[in-house]
Amino acid sequence: MGIMAQIGIVLAVCLVGEGIAALLPIPFPASVISMVLLFLLLAAKLLRPHHIKEKSNFLITNMACFFVPAGVGILRYADVLWANLLPLLAICFITTPLVYGVTAWAVQLTMRAIQKKEARHD
Amino acid sequence: MIEAVTTSPLFGIVLCIGTFQIGRWVQKKTGLTLANPLVIAILLCIGVLLIFDIPYEDFAIGGDIVNMMLGPATAVLALNIYNQYAVLKSHFVPVLVGCTAGSLFSLASVLLLCHLFRLDEAVTAALLPKSCTTPIAVGIAESHGGIAAITMVAVLVTGFIGAVCAPLFAKLMHVTEPVAEGLAIGACSHALGTTKAAELGEVQGAMSGIAIGVCGLITVVAALFL
Repeated sequence: MGIMAQIGIVLAVCLVGEGIAALLPIPFPASVISMVLLFLLLAAKLLRPHHIKEKSNFLITNMACFFVPAGVGILRYADVLWANLLPLLAICFITTPLVYGVTAWAVQLTMRAIQKKEARHD
Repeated sequence: MIEAVTTSPLFGIVLCIGTFQIGRWVQKKTGLTLANPLVIAILLCIGVLLIFDIPYEDFAIGGDIVNMMLGPATAVLALNIYNQYAVLKSHFVPVLVGCTAGSLFSLASVLLLCHLFRLDEAVTAALLPKSCTTPIAVGIAESHGGIAAITMVAVLVTGFIGAVCAPLFAKLMHVTEPVAEGLAIGACSHALGTTKAAELGEVQGAMSGIAIGVCGLITVVAALFL
């Protein structure tokens, strides 16, 4: 499908997502609603991967570039960042290995439980 | 003349793309995880604005247009999840249990530490989703009144820790299942960690990618109750 049509499809889904987010009484990110909408359209086969493939690949491979303005926005919050830098770093260094461990072990224990159950069935 | 250039929307757009391309080039040349194109681009942009004394508002005219692409870029992650649907289905229960445990633990531990350090609400809301991928984390932070720029710093720091230390974590915590390793990397350090997971193996890479999407969704929903 032509690149202009692909851009149109993706932006239209996002526009609907923003509309739904505005209607919801709870704080739910519009981009995530658009993601769920797009997934449902793909799962229902109303959209095929080739309808949005090139546009999607362009957006995903260059995703980091779209974050540059938000990052530069730190200029306006430099004082907040400096005031909270130590706790911020402490929180990142403490929680990251813990979240890794909790996730990995939750998965390993679940997989072992499933294997045991299957072995018993055999 | 200079002002005519800097107040054009094109100024912010060109600066973002230009500095990002320099960042990509530096990473390719050095091969270092820490030489992240996004970090390099942000620092270069800030440097240009400060050195030439250009107001942030001038940059933001074009910057807002680049920023607008974030929504669509997040939405098309749906295609990635759709492409990995088969892998997701074959490990459905472990994925769901692992991502739920990891996401909830992340939220709870960050919340606890924020209270312990007596951080204010805008900073706490910014830090809560720090284990999610940037677009989802920024979305959650903003819809809860957090400062997006602070979220980005925390997300990047977390991502670097995961990407650099993931093999060490696996050794210390006796993680032997590739499926568990991949999911854990994605859950604790999102897309930056996933680059490392993909280096460790195909299963690790795919599972890490799945964890980004599933943990993102779980965190969005769980954050509603905070």
